Amino acid sequence: MTTTAIPAEARSAPATAPKRRPKREREGAAWVFLSPWVLGAIVLTLLPMAVSLYLSFTDYDLFNPPKWVGLRNYVQMFTEDPRYWRSVVTTLTYVLVAVPLQLALALVVALALKGMKRGKGFYRSAFYAPSLLGASMSIALVWRAVFNDGGTVDNLLGTGGWVNKPGWALLAVALLTVWQFGAPMVIFLAGLQQIPAELYEAAAVDGAGKWRQFLSVTVPMLSPVLFFNLVLQTIQAFQVFTPAFAVSAGKGGPADSTLVYTMYLYDRGFVASHMGYASAMAWVLLLVIGVVTAVLFRTSRSWVFYASEGDR
Amino acid sequence: MPGNRTKGFCASAVALALCAVLAGCGGSGESAGGGKVVLRYTWWGNPDRAERTERAVALFEKQHPDIDVATSFSGYDAYKQKLATQAAGGDAPDVMQLDYRQIDQYASGGVLLDLTRQKSVLRTSEIDPGLLATGRVDGVQYAIPQGRGTETVAYDVRTWKNSGVPLPGESWTWSQWADTMRALAKKTGKPGATDPGQSEDAFEVWLRGQGKTLYSKDGGLGFTTEDLTRWWTFTDELRREGAVSPAEQTTQLDGSVENTPLGRGTSVTDANWDAPASGFVALIPTGVALAPMPSGEDGTPGQYFKPSMFLGVSAGTGHPKEAAQLVDFMINDREAAMILGASRGIPVNETIRAEIGPRLKDFDKTIAAFQASLEGKLKDPPQAPPSGDNALQSTFQRDYDQVSYARMSPREAAENYVTEAKAELRS
Repeated sequence: MTTTAIPAEARSAPATAPKRRPKREREGAAWVFLSPWVLGAIVLTLLPMAVSLYLSFTDYDLFNPPKWVGLRNYVQMFTEDPRYWRSVVTTLTYVLVAVPLQLALALVVALALKGMKRGKGFYRSAFYAPSLLGASMSIALVWRAVFNDGGTVDNLLGTGGWVNKPGWALLAVALLTVWQFGAPMVIFLAGLQQIPAELYEAAAVDGAGKWRQFLSVTVPMLSPVLFFNLVLQTIQAFQVFTPAFAVSAGKGGPADSTLVYTMYLYDRGFVASHMGYASAMAWVLLLVIGVVTAVLFRTSRSWVFYASEGDR
Repeated sequence: MPGNRTKGFCASAVALALCAVLAGCGGSGESAGGGKVVLRYTWWGNPDRAERTERAVALFEKQHPDIDVATSFSGYDAYKQKLATQAAGGDAPDVMQLDYRQIDQYASGGVLLDLTRQKSVLRTSEIDPGLLATGRVDGVQYAIPQGRGTETVAYDVRTWKNSGVPLPGESWTWSQWADTMRALAKKTGKPGATDPGQSEDAFEVWLRGQGKTLYSKDGGLGFTTEDLTRWWTFTDELRREGAVSPAEQTTQLDGSVENTPLGRGTSVTDANWDAPASGFVALIPTGVALAPMPSGEDGTPGQYFKPSMFLGVSAGTGHPKEAAQLVDFMINDREAAMILGASRGIPVNETIRAEIGPRLKDFDKTIAAFQASLEGKLKDPPQAPPSGDNALQSTFQRDYDQVSYARMSPREAAENYVTEAKAELRS
């Protein structure tokens, strides 16, 4: 069924010509079905992206027409704006804290659930539930109340409220993300179940203990899944917004300690009405995420193990 | 035959999909069932104001059976951000409450309707011309002031009385105020006031007490780094002594009375505008009273009467006449005025003010009496703030956060603020 074969046939034998029409019709039908998504991609994704790229070279206050300023927004961002760099440092700190913690927790829980005989379904749903609720503002607000002064954590530990302490607030935000480890956990669980039981049996025969089995069988066999989760969660962590917004009541406080990148972007765009500057920030974020992902893919060659490689 | 069936299936699937799309579009139309006009009316405030507004709006709907009003409200900070987003997206509500600080920006950005075109339904003859003019930009009436307000020190009467510290009198200077706050903190064990260092409004009162202003006539800064350093040094010391609220509490301020230390029961006083101060009544049932803001050391008053808030109509509204009718109702209707009381400041319609003034009840009466006690003593209000000020209000609070968390000295933070403000006011 190669595509070149059919026209050749059609040329030599006109009787087979009708065969072509169904194919074109099928293509037409495909386009009809695809059209909502194609239109959606153009109108809702590509167009806004193009506009935002244009705006990033302008001074735009939301109310008056944009003024072209060339690279000024980018120059200002990198050379004149200490808050910008503070938001970069805050975001990197957040990524470095939240992502490893979240993945570690997801893996530990997945391992525990894997060996479980009864009540598996219940625990799986229970641990996954926070991820379903997680995107919602309400949970983030509950979080704020829990870590506020006079809140639950304050009462239990006498901390005086983490969300009001510049040194602790970011941790409260990170914990909200860590708590939503359900999605990577489910993926880990699926990955764990793909590992053939014979490998463990063979390792046990060779005298490997549980820890040795984990390091020599589970980790390498799971590395593609681990890599997948790592890339996905890192990209998400760079774009963290809701928890920081809710925990700091939309201000990135106290004292800018939870001012993550997207919060500052929002602040520039919607509070200070500098939409051009905010657009420029968005494009830098896109580039940075692209670079970080590329680096992760690069380094993955040395530690991600694909079983199929052994067959080659 | 199978081909036909597929085609038929395709057609119905597409039809279904289209239906879904069309139905989705239909939902966002302007008018609800029965051909009623639906107006969106948004404002900021507290539950007390919400309750009264709902009652007034219900009365309006009764008088105009063909109009439905969909109201929504939130705290000031959230409101400000949401409205900016809506306005930018060309989706500003039909009728919106506006702050002095927003009018310049919104009017020059083409968000607001020229209200003089709705003269037939929107009467302004009974509003003091000077006050009415505050809603004008380049000679065009874009917004109508809703009330007159002034800043005040609201305090928890019982706690103050129990402390044995003499109650505030007709006037006090900033240093007398500071001493009183220290005494209150000592006797009651909780800070006397919300740390005023975070408030641009309190800073303005302090500046005016020294004959200075927040903004110069040409829309630049009216004060120097030196002035701001002195102000923040003053409040920084009070905070360190425990006379005013600690950083952990100050940082939770979001423009709502519920989140002020006074509202949460952790301080004795709070500097606020007089109209929202009525929200404290529900939070402190044992009694709230009002004292004037401190004046300069030579007795120069810093506080002033300000148009408390405005009503504007969206330039993009589909129902300019009905929207103007609602504005007219909120400002000129006698019954509405009785319901609204002083929740948005003392009414601007002079006939109504004269008429309902003596009939005001409860806390509205307190506010009216407070304003009366200041009548003739205050200086003229400053001109409307330049549009960059909208962002600077939060900058002010944020830069002071750096001081209150001891991350910057008052001087460093003041330098920061002045640099940022200059950039903001230039663009």
